[in-house]
Amino acid sequence: MIKTDKPLEEMTKQQVVNHLCATVKPEDGVIPAYLLGDPKVYEIEHEKVFLKTWVFVGHESEVPNKGDFMTRELAGYSLIITRDGEGEVRAFYNMCTHRGMKLCRADKGNKSMFTCPYHGFNFKNTGELVGVPLQKDIYGGMLDRTTMGLHKVKLESYKGLLFGTWNEEAEPLEDFLGDIRWYLDILVGRAEMEVIGVPQRFIVSSNWKVGSDNFVGDSYHTMVTHGSIAKLGMVPNATYSKRGFQIHTENGHGLNLGTPNPDFAFPEELKEEFKCNLSAEQYGVLSNLKNMIGNVFPNLSFLISHTKIKDRFISNTSIRMWRPIGHDKMEVIAWMLVEKNASQDWKDRSRDSFILTFSPSGIFEQDDTEVFTDITEAAQGPMPFLKNLTYNYTMGLHREPVEFVGPGVAYDDKFTEASQRNFYKYWLELMTK
Amino acid sequence: MNMEEMLVTCQFEKWLYDEAQLLDDIEFDHWFDLMHHSLRYQMPVRINKEGVERPDYSTDMFTFNDDIELLKLRVERLKTDYAWAEIPPSRTRRFVSNVRVKDYMEGEKAAVKSYLLIYRSRSSDIKHDLISGERNDEFIFEEGKWKLSKRVFIVDQSTINTRNLAIFI
Repeated sequence: MIKTDKPLEEMTKQQVVNHLCATVKPEDGVIPAYLLGDPKVYEIEHEKVFLKTWVFVGHESEVPNKGDFMTRELAGYSLIITRDGEGEVRAFYNMCTHRGMKLCRADKGNKSMFTCPYHGFNFKNTGELVGVPLQKDIYGGMLDRTTMGLHKVKLESYKGLLFGTWNEEAEPLEDFLGDIRWYLDILVGRAEMEVIGVPQRFIVSSNWKVGSDNFVGDSYHTMVTHGSIAKLGMVPNATYSKRGFQIHTENGHGLNLGTPNPDFAFPEELKEEFKCNLSAEQYGVLSNLKNMIGNVFPNLSFLISHTKIKDRFISNTSIRMWRPIGHDKMEVIAWMLVEKNASQDWKDRSRDSFILTFSPSGIFEQDDTEVFTDITEAAQGPMPFLKNLTYNYTMGLHREPVEFVGPGVAYDDKFTEASQRNFYKYWLELMTK
Repeated sequence: MNMEEMLVTCQFEKWLYDEAQLLDDIEFDHWFDLMHHSLRYQMPVRINKEGVERPDYSTDMFTFNDDIELLKLRVERLKTDYAWAEIPPSRTRRFVSNVRVKDYMEGEKAAVKSYLLIYRSRSSDIKHDLISGERNDEFIFEEGKWKLSKRVFIVDQSTINTRNLAIFI
């Protein structure tokens, strides 16, 4: 056991970082429980992870028209994301540059101007300050509006997925995503995709990492946590979740590919569109895909799920963010995506399968959130730290990677914890930088 | 309100109270028997919109969007040994109020609006969840009984403050 001289809450930031180095051992499969329960770790995470990396903020199809806007959060700060008159998508800090009032308080809408509720300062959806009430009179014509535009936020898109970052030195999004892009192409680049409606949002008393961990590499829990689904005949059998590949890439990203699938999981009539957008190898994976569950570091999880509902197979594609709002609390935001050119019948059935399986009422999701909550509760307070309680992440340490058609480090079934080790390895790297 | 209207309102108040009792008592099979085979059971996602723009909920994304078959599936699932979200079951108390009959054809159909407040307590957690909203219900009279044929539950939160909806609304 690691000896600790003093409780975590009395440590300086540097001492906490040193302690992380001494106790977090992803390569040995050792992850301490206090990572999920400690406010100080959460504070450092905010600064070293969420203010540093790219974080998902939305999908381009959510602002399809000129003048559309939506508000989102980036590391706890509100953003306005607009599509301006030229069709360019931009992001701004949702704060009036005069006195700091939150400028826009709606989730979404369409307008080209934002008026501050405090003093009526007027901003265009390009960020420019264009109007100040009584400007000439009260500022004597001395106010330089050009220095008072909305604070721009760095925003980049990959195949419609919008990511923002507060870090001006952040590497280009494509570099940060790296090899996971090959799989994101299958997820959201296979066809023109659109978000249906608005995302689902709900609060779970869970540390955000439990969600990322679950999606990045935990296919093992499916047998038990989701045992009810097999009993209802919606998936083949309780061990179906083992078959396929687990893959991880640099920067903590990873996924699980469920294969093979005797049925084609996507709209048949769009095969040509898929072939156009994907390489032959990617299309090969797509046409044999049963499910795909993964996580883009830090907290964007994604899912393709193919289930039998009312005796008919249907798949749904979704992305979900585990948005931290405290060391023991997160908001789950779940978007459902569908091929824009799919038939209305496919879109409706796909949506309803998403709602039935992965949404606050989803019969997969609801059992997960129960587990997430209790794991987080058990990790709280000083005891797990003082006793250095740890989780075991050694599954598959003895295994060698296999050749796979796509990039990354691949294992030839999904029951390994290599992806979680990879997630925590990058997490530790950022935390101790 | 005249006497006839009072009696009709009273009749649906009783229906909703009885339904609440069945759900709170975890009598899901009996609750399911109250449903009409043409059921649409819906809970749209609520949105924060500018000003008074309406509707302030999504017309194409829902937290529930079940027909009778999918609702049956949920009820059956809760009876398996693996429905962890409700093992042990939440203690719920459904408070139904502000019942207004909007449309009524004796022995045929009815439309009823009501308010719903659900208190939910799980395990030994001293914190509780509250789910509040408006029900827009439609009924069809069949074999001497009023059956629920449509429910649209307009929840009062855009971010739902409960870990899941493994319970019914």
